Amino acid sequence: MPPVMSQIDDPKIAFAYLRPACVLLTKEPTLANVETLSEQLRDVQAASLQQLQEYVLFPLRFVLKVPGQRREKLVQAVAEALSDVLERTCVRSWDTLRDLFSELCICLCSPTDPGKPADASEELKSAVLRCLDALLHAAYGDIVFRLYEAAMLPGLGAAISLLLALGEKDKSRDIQAAALKCLQSLILHCDCTQEHVVPSPEERCAVGGAVASFLPGITVAAARIITGDLRQGHAVTVRAIKVWSRSVGLVMDDAQLQSGQSCKTPSPDLGRIRQLLVQRTPDWVKATAGKLCALLKRIISCTSAHQHWRVRLEMVELADHLLATCSRSLKECAGPLLEALVGAINDDEPRVRARCEVALRDVSQRNQSGTSSKNLTDVLSENLHSLATSLPRLMRTSDDQKKLFVLNVFLGYLKVLGPLVSVVLNSAAHLDRISKALMQVLELDVMDVRVVEERSYTDPVESSSGSLDSYTCHTHRKQFLYFTDEKIFSVLMEICRTLGYYGNIYLLTDQLLDLYRQSLAYRKQAAMVLNELVRGAAGVAVAAQAKCLDGSERRAASQEDLKAAVVSVMEEYTSLNNWHLVTVSEETDDDRQDQQLLSPLRLQSICRSEIISNSASSLQVIPSSPTSPPSSSSTIHQLNSNIWQLCIQLEGVACFAQALRRHFRPLLMTSLYPVLEKAGEETLLVSQAALGAMMDISEACGYSSPKELISDNSDYLLNDVSVNLQRLSQHPQAPRVLMVMLAHSDRSLLPLVRDIVQDVLMALDLSYDHSAALFCSVLHALMKALARWFPPTCCRTSKSPGFRTSAEQEDFDVCQFLLDYRKQKELAEGIGIEVDETEDLDVPPPPPESEDADDVGGPDMKAELPSHLSITKDVMERCIHLLSDPSLRLRLKVLDVLEQCVYVLSEREDELLPMAHRCWPALLQRLTDDPLAVLRAFRVLCTLGETCGDFLRSRVSKEVLPKLGSSLARQAPISAKAGPVYTHTLAYKLQLAVLQGLGSLCQRLDLGEADLDAVCEACLPYLSCRQPIRLQEACLSVFRHLIQVDPDAFWFTLNEIHCPSSYTPPHPDLQPVQLSGMGRPRDEYSDNVLKLLREEFGSDSDR
Amino acid sequence: MARPAPSPVYTLRGAGAPLNTLHFRCPAGDTPLLFSGSAKGAIHMWDLNSRRAEQVVEAHCGNSVIWLSTLRSGETLISQGRDMQVCLWDLKDGRSEVVDSVWTGSVGFCQCSVLETSPSNFLLAFAGPQTEEIKIVEMPGKNPVCSLVPDAQLGMVMCVQLWKPDSGLGPLLFAGYEDGSLLLWDVTQRSELSRVKAHPEPVMCLTFDPRRLRGVSGSCEKKLSSWMLDSQNNIQLQDCVMLVNPGVSQLRVRDDGRLLASAGWDHRVRVFGWKKLRPLAVLQYHTDMVLSVAFSDHQDPRQRLLAAGSKDQRISLWSIYNQGPDTV
Repeated sequence: MPPVMSQIDDPKIAFAYLRPACVLLTKEPTLANVETLSEQLRDVQAASLQQLQEYVLFPLRFVLKVPGQRREKLVQAVAEALSDVLERTCVRSWDTLRDLFSELCICLCSPTDPGKPADASEELKSAVLRCLDALLHAAYGDIVFRLYEAAMLPGLGAAISLLLALGEKDKSRDIQAAALKCLQSLILHCDCTQEHVVPSPEERCAVGGAVASFLPGITVAAARIITGDLRQGHAVTVRAIKVWSRSVGLVMDDAQLQSGQSCKTPSPDLGRIRQLLVQRTPDWVKATAGKLCALLKRIISCTSAHQHWRVRLEMVELADHLLATCSRSLKECAGPLLEALVGAINDDEPRVRARCEVALRDVSQRNQSGTSSKNLTDVLSENLHSLATSLPRLMRTSDDQKKLFVLNVFLGYLKVLGPLVSVVLNSAAHLDRISKALMQVLELDVMDVRVVEERSYTDPVESSSGSLDSYTCHTHRKQFLYFTDEKIFSVLMEICRTLGYYGNIYLLTDQLLDLYRQSLAYRKQAAMVLNELVRGAAGVAVAAQAKCLDGSERRAASQEDLKAAVVSVMEEYTSLNNWHLVTVSEETDDDRQDQQLLSPLRLQSICRSEIISNSASSLQVIPSSPTSPPSSSSTIHQLNSNIWQLCIQLEGVACFAQALRRHFRPLLMTSLYPVLEKAGEETLLVSQAALGAMMDISEACGYSSPKELISDNSDYLLNDVSVNLQRLSQHPQAPRVLMVMLAHSDRSLLPLVRDIVQDVLMALDLSYDHSAALFCSVLHALMKALARWFPPTCCRTSKSPGFRTSAEQEDFDVCQFLLDYRKQKELAEGIGIEVDETEDLDVPPPPPESEDADDVGGPDMKAELPSHLSITKDVMERCIHLLSDPSLRLRLKVLDVLEQCVYVLSEREDELLPMAHRCWPALLQRLTDDPLAVLRAFRVLCTLGETCGDFLRSRVSKEVLPKLGSSLARQAPISAKAGPVYTHTLAYKLQLAVLQGLGSLCQRLDLGEADLDAVCEACLPYLSCRQPIRLQEACLSVFRHLIQVDPDAFWFTLNEIHCPSSYTPPHPDLQPVQLSGMGRPRDEYSDNVLKLLREEFGSDSDR
Repeated sequence: MARPAPSPVYTLRGAGAPLNTLHFRCPAGDTPLLFSGSAKGAIHMWDLNSRRAEQVVEAHCGNSVIWLSTLRSGETLISQGRDMQVCLWDLKDGRSEVVDSVWTGSVGFCQCSVLETSPSNFLLAFAGPQTEEIKIVEMPGKNPVCSLVPDAQLGMVMCVQLWKPDSGLGPLLFAGYEDGSLLLWDVTQRSELSRVKAHPEPVMCLTFDPRRLRGVSGSCEKKLSSWMLDSQNNIQLQDCVMLVNPGVSQLRVRDDGRLLASAGWDHRVRVFGWKKLRPLAVLQYHTDMVLSVAFSDHQDPRQRLLAAGSKDQRISLWSIYNQGPDTV
């Protein structure tokens, strides 16, 4: 109401101003008159109005008192006017208060049945309620308490029941809320912003005594409202909770009940009213508390998971208020109240959480300060125990929402108990119960087959996209038997962390390690719990707020304790029985190996990439655990379980690293090797878990990347590798770790690698028959790593044969050509081309390797080979022996290694050539081996050709070309006739490989004319369009190479087959050119010949 | 029942040269260290907690380091190199600098022996410039005490050990010579007390346990000679222990007098019970001659390690027979 003009502040003037309207209203109680008066009232200042209060109120009250039919509009207007007055003035007279109170109550109740609310309009009820509220606020402190005298009880009771009825039954939410608000005012616990009377203890006691009479009605009705229809909106529920909590708090107040005033005998002159009076005797208190407890439980169960946070907040208020004021009288309610509080500590809404923390802190402080409620700890621990007992059942039966709540309560108890958790856990019953409950709840579902079947090589390309993503995105969620919601899992983990945070870490790890050892059924869960316990003990991911919940300090686990606990757990995890678990069945292993061997290219692509996650996938060839018991008996189920156990244990190592941070570094000595061992595991899930663990460890220990982690600790790793290589039967994974290391590190590792390679080679030498295949994989990895670290600097491949002059680039000078030709011819006849290999054969064998005294890194080591080259030579030496191994698989592997060796050694020709010479006979044998081996051997030959060049010329022309030529010629008619299925045969692949490599081999080796002719002869049939298309293409590539070597000869050769144009000599003296291909009809060769002529001799063919 | 052969608890690698000598220093409450001297003149100080070289010192101008020791105070390191120098190093506060050096004049491989006579003084015995000469000087003043030359032609001095008997006599000295003779010298009297021909070949190494008055010596043959010292200070040869392969580089008795370890040329470390010279274990890891062995002097018996340094440039650490009295 903004004052339009200055308000009248002189009482006399005000009186004169208001008088006419008052008089008029008294005479004619009409709506218009009421409105006039209320208009005028607004012009009068509050102080003046106070003096005229009685005068002004009179006509208004008169209207209400007029007997007979009252019009609603009129009553409403009067109520509004009254409210206006009362809101600005005080009521000093008891009579006024009493009369107005009862008059307003009458307005609300139905005229026929005074106990029921009137069937009036919403506006009217709203106005009257407002007026009643204003009246209660306006009442002076010295008179308001007379409302609660015994004599007033009937009136008061009527008002309360009216308000409750309105609050419960009314259709309008606003009125419901207003009625309940009014009720709050009536029990002197209004929460509005106006000033309120502060009652003295005696007065409070009096009010409490009066309200006690109506407590059953109030609480029952309010509870009905609270637990009623959810659609009524949160405001009403909140009000109802307030009414409930304030009225109970008022009546059951410990202070009042103790002071003894609560049960003074009433004066005898009250008559019937005496029956209404309640004596708050201990018996009565006890009985009431029991009933309240029942109501409270209903309320809590209904509201603790309420959707609206204000309701949950109000419940926290309720619990706090009642725990603060009536903890003694409502002893039995303490449990449910605490549960309500505790359940809210993990509320989603921060305001609820904050309030709840304050409340809990108060509770625990009260708990500590006063001896009065010493049993709080007992209550809490009892609750905890019973909750732990019922937890598995609840987790099996209830829905996710309920499970989440139950777990939140569980967590809340731990948080409230705080440091006392360790005391509670000292009780064996508690510890046992809680740990068993966790074991049962966390039971994993191990039925998923995919977990077992997924292999780490599935997707090398995708995983190269980003190391971090690749291991997170693929990760399977753990599947639990009893819940699916991720939230539930995270609460469970938080429970574990909180246990670890407050509990005694030794006690807990002991207990859980016992469970871990006790039964296979508990192992995975126990490991999960252990992981989080340790994290919690270190304060990782524990809500920080919990630290100051309690006054007393948490006895933080010292770094030494933590370390000792971690060491003992880790020992258990990585012990032989718990770490070397079977995760794959043997049969699939073999199949996969064969598959693996057929796709060598993929392996190469992996090794080139630097990304960590790739490298793991290049390791599949090794049988996982040759020593493990035959896995045919192990079911999918067991495998799945094993996989999960490993994953959890790997996560555990990461957790421990997070707990210890940099202090974990010394533990890398024992833990990094096992993790790397698993990074090479072929089961996708396990290798991902291991890679994830490596990420976490490297981060926790302060390394910038897993790569740095490995290279900084390569000495630790190599130690284990070296020791285990000597005991290969017990530690078959050692080579695998070495491979992971090689894949992850860079050339700085070389000095240490050099050391270890001797171990590898020695181990290989000692067990050629058993584990040669395994070691070949290592050697392959090693050579790939060396090739990556030391790409050959002087690249022979770039050196193109010098003599080739391209015809189309130079102006063709016939005269000069003839002169050159003669010169060349003379030269050739005079000297002859030295094609004598004996010189090469005399190359002295490489100086014997001296591993001793002075071979590393001195300044005067000119004669000394760089160590990567000497390693390569050592490896190549073994390859020569192994090239003729009876196992095909091994031979293939060795050929791969050999290829890499040649590549690395190509840097030093003087080292390569003797080695090439030595391995030549064995390599030659492979060219007549199984087709698979021939393919591989031919690749090696090509690589050798690229690097050794003319060194191989005569050997190739004498020993290789005839064989290849004859086999090509032999196969040509077959492939020309064959159908589409032929492309799937090995013979086809062989032809293809030979044709693809032959061209470049010929070019590199700078072969003589006769050899070229032989090659040409062998390849010509493949120019036929009847050959499979890829063979044709490969053959074209051979010719392209050949043409580069000797363009003229092959121009002639091609034209002999098919010549598209005739050549007219430029001068009549010259003979006309006669080529046998001229004028021939088109045949099967024409297309390809023309294509070659057009591409390679474009200008010529146009002539 | 024979248990499977143990693995080394750890191997220290990266020295980059054969390891001629090892010496433990495990002071109470401080990081236990292992010193190693390499054939390239590098002295590595290995931190046994992190198992990494804490410090690497280039000494003796790149000449082979053949012997290392520390004084009881633990702050002085003594190193002997093939450059004919014995150097004293100050290790206080992580420093490592040469504070003094003694010229020996011997080109042989004979390792020095040190005997602390008082907290500040100690005797140092080493092979002298002449073939059979043993020199003893008092440090830190470098005062020559005596020079011991036997009256017979015994060849080069191969190994020496100084010790002080409980009887109150002056310090005595065992010396092994190239012709296989073993001599006991009285340092104060400069007289030869006893002489035996312990081996047909040069005495490569010897160790003597003053508590039991027993010693053992090794040569380049397939046996170890054990001997007693009787009350008249005469060396009495006793049973010998046969080895599978010939050649012993070093012998060491553990401080508690229970174990004897030998560094074999056959790449193996052999462990014997010292009381009866019963063979207990063959430790197999190295891929080349084992050049030295050392027992840790750690206060906690469970952390007492055996270290072996080999020509294959590695040091292997073994945790054996250190659980309690009943395991031996």
